[in-house]
Amino acid sequence: MKQRKLGTVLTLVVALLVLSTYSLEAVAQVSIPRLNFQEKTLANGMRVLSAVDHSNPTVAIQVWYHVGSKDDPAGRSGFAHLFEHIMFKATKNMKSEMMDRLTEDVGGFNNAFTNPDVTVYYEVVPSNYLETLLWAESDRLSGLTVDEPNFKSERSVVQEEYRQSYLAPPYGMLEYLIEQQSFTMHPYKRPTIGSIEDLDAASLENVRAFHETFYRPDNATLVVVGDFDPKQLDAWVAKYLAPIPKPAIPLPRVNVKEPERTAERRITHYAANVPLPAIALTYLTPSEKSPDAEPLQVAATILAQGESSRLYKSLIYEQQVAQSADATPDLREDASVFYFNVVLASGKKPEDVERVLLAEIKKMQDAPVSLAELNKAKNQLVTNELRQRETSNGKALALGSSAVLLGDPNRVNTDLARLQAVTAADVQRVMTKYFTANNRLVIYYLPEAAKTVPTTSKTDDCDQQDHAPSKLNQNGGKGK
Amino acid sequence: MKTLFALGLFALCLSLSPAVRAQTPQATPPPPAAPRSVQFPKPVEKTLANGLRVIIIDRPGTPLVTAQLVIKNGGEVDPPELAGLGNMLADLVTKGTEKRTATQIAEEVEALGGSLYSSARWDSTRMGVDVMSSKIGPAVEILADVVRRPTFKEEEIERLRQQTLDDLTVELGEPGSIARYVAARVIFGDAPYGQPLAGTPESITRIKREDFLKYHSRWYRPDNAILVFGGDIRAKSAFALAQQYFGDWKKPVEPLPTLPAPKLVVTAGPRVVVVDKPDAGQAAVLVARTGIERTNPDYFRGLVANSVLSGYSGRLNQEIRIKRGLSYGAGSQLDTRRNVGPFVASAQTKNQSALQVAELLLGEVDRLATASVPDIELNPRKAVVVGNFARNLETAAGLVAQVATLAVYGIDFNEINRYIGNVQSINAADVQKFASSHLEAKTTSIVIVGNAKDFLQELRQKYPQVEVIQMEQLDLNTALLRKKQLAGP
Repeated sequence: MKQRKLGTVLTLVVALLVLSTYSLEAVAQVSIPRLNFQEKTLANGMRVLSAVDHSNPTVAIQVWYHVGSKDDPAGRSGFAHLFEHIMFKATKNMKSEMMDRLTEDVGGFNNAFTNPDVTVYYEVVPSNYLETLLWAESDRLSGLTVDEPNFKSERSVVQEEYRQSYLAPPYGMLEYLIEQQSFTMHPYKRPTIGSIEDLDAASLENVRAFHETFYRPDNATLVVVGDFDPKQLDAWVAKYLAPIPKPAIPLPRVNVKEPERTAERRITHYAANVPLPAIALTYLTPSEKSPDAEPLQVAATILAQGESSRLYKSLIYEQQVAQSADATPDLREDASVFYFNVVLASGKKPEDVERVLLAEIKKMQDAPVSLAELNKAKNQLVTNELRQRETSNGKALALGSSAVLLGDPNRVNTDLARLQAVTAADVQRVMTKYFTANNRLVIYYLPEAAKTVPTTSKTDDCDQQDHAPSKLNQNGGKGK
Repeated sequence: MKTLFALGLFALCLSLSPAVRAQTPQATPPPPAAPRSVQFPKPVEKTLANGLRVIIIDRPGTPLVTAQLVIKNGGEVDPPELAGLGNMLADLVTKGTEKRTATQIAEEVEALGGSLYSSARWDSTRMGVDVMSSKIGPAVEILADVVRRPTFKEEEIERLRQQTLDDLTVELGEPGSIARYVAARVIFGDAPYGQPLAGTPESITRIKREDFLKYHSRWYRPDNAILVFGGDIRAKSAFALAQQYFGDWKKPVEPLPTLPAPKLVVTAGPRVVVVDKPDAGQAAVLVARTGIERTNPDYFRGLVANSVLSGYSGRLNQEIRIKRGLSYGAGSQLDTRRNVGPFVASAQTKNQSALQVAELLLGEVDRLATASVPDIELNPRKAVVVGNFARNLETAAGLVAQVATLAVYGIDFNEINRYIGNVQSINAADVQKFASSHLEAKTTSIVIVGNAKDFLQELRQKYPQVEVIQMEQLDLNTALLRKKQLAGP
């Protein structure tokens, strides 16, 4: 997930819980306020979701566009994200950065993020500014008037974002490789940040065409949560958003199917600035809409959330072979990728750590998890979700992702039941089904100094590929 | 008891100048409606017989509670040769008590859906749990257990030592982290704030079990601690929990050690330090100097002055990102502590632009002292300060962090209610006076960590005094910053 501004990245928790009442075996009941929301679709196809919450005199406004990096034009990887930045530049009635004048300058804030499936713009402002922001969102949905100097300057910002996220931190390029190498056919194989070369190739003409293609009311969902009067909201929506016409041309949709993996693939990547070697395993899993999404989330939680998780206990605490060990279910609309990334403890060999990690995966396949572990994971997931819902913006994110990514806003109130229904047998079943040798990609991420030592015979060295960091560095240097 | 928290006041004057000349209704933003206000819950407190101060902020709503135990000292009391002791100890207390092993502690807390955090800051050490309100009782029991009865087993010490060393290895691969550590040494020399809070590979290697025991018995005591509850919990039940799990925590007979008076930080003069890291994919650029202490009467002037520089539309980001596309983000921090803390302005940029970014950072710090900030710019920046403050109080964890900080520095909780007024009262003259007396650019140092061959020649022309340290020669144990045996010319 890439965002316009550096700051706290909001965790987009998709396909999670919350109901009016929550209860689990052997634990006390907790009631969670139901998120009562209104839903309607305007004649131009725009969906509007809203929920009133007067606990703070602020309001969160979000516009979800159902376009992400999987929709990047050919040869323009990173474009959907670059475009997100451009949406803060000039529009018909707003100068560049006027969105900041309407939010930050009155004590609010704004930001946006792009992931493979969606682009989301959000503002939190004192509630008396709601109408102002609806006007502003309407204006940038209606058209952009950004000029060449502003476009180029913002493109340089995105290139610096690339360097800051992927080149400066020691394991940035490993994350890039996980994204890039996990898919072979589906456009998910293009990392959301793109590449310096493709960003350099992007033009103002691309901006105009992208806006025309994807930024249209029938591809947008407005979410408003906080301190407002529903009747007033309806009137303002009618005034500012309903008049935007729906284009006649159809919306293009990605329909590429990622083929099933048929054999294990292994990559060894040597990079500069690798303080300790790292390994990653990735497995293809189904869409976030699949009923297997919840068991996979529970599995990831049991494996890697907290110091009582299986990977922490085994790799970090008991065997002391890892500096960190993560498991991420990375749920997506078309197909998901469940990945493990492990930074090795000093003096450890990647082959040995891979063996320990595979043994932990096998344990999840060979026997059901205990009821205590299952309940712990559910409690952790519920608490994470409660934290997200402490703020209006967090509630709006939960509502928007239910509507846009899961196809049903009511999932915001029914997902807890789905989570509660997950059994130890479900977890064992998904672990057995997806975590097979044939469905495995293994990445060894090693320091350049290790290159002289021959590694295992099965590896193909991807150092010569287009996106090797050395090459990016050179090209990066030419930017602006 | 509820106190009016007049959030509505932050709807300050909005500079919508282009709007005024609009031709169609659609061409201008509609004006804001009348602002609204909100109630902010007032903390209640009492001190137990053993000296433990207990504070509760009752705010129903989301069924979450945060409980935080604060020790009123942190990295500032680490002995110089044992930098990182307090921070490592904070971690170590969660690795075993008289009745629980490390694994049991993690399992029990996480079974409640929460997690236990524990880490040292400069002037305090904070341990806490963040759980669903129905689970606060068992969570506080575990919190009390780790604070009061850690066992410091040798096996756990060695395990944690190895993990800490690996963590440092990873952290010292990041240009931004290296630059912050170097800046602390440049500003504070060999004084406590100059040490890395998490220690150095050398200091971490030196720490022994008896050092933990000594530190724990000296500082972890009820009359040097504060327990704060915030969120969906009633004062009565919170006090009862405090009494139940901390009431019999004995206050030692010997008096609490008094902190040595802060030594005046005397820096020899501004330094220009480059750490040459040829594999850095981007340069971290910092300009750094001393700022103010938290209790300085100029605190609010400082907050507003910093806000003119920092934040998305602050001057640093305007000049470096928005106008020139040189960075993903530039900003500054006025880090106020018990004693005078640092002021740091920073950005990451491609190696080739390091000098340009350093000069832009320094130029903006200087401009704040030499020219008055127009009201049309100042008022929105004040709104940012107030808005950030109010939003931080929206979550239970944010509320507790804010109140705990006031308690650590002995500041009256009424400051929360006076906060907006205090910010609003700052004018352009205050900002300029603050900047010229506390943020003088002439005495500000520059630190750059990156691939020096891309910027050093240019930099040397401008700053012939530049000190260049190869990454492998960097020594964070001293203000010299350079390993002795490898000392260069």
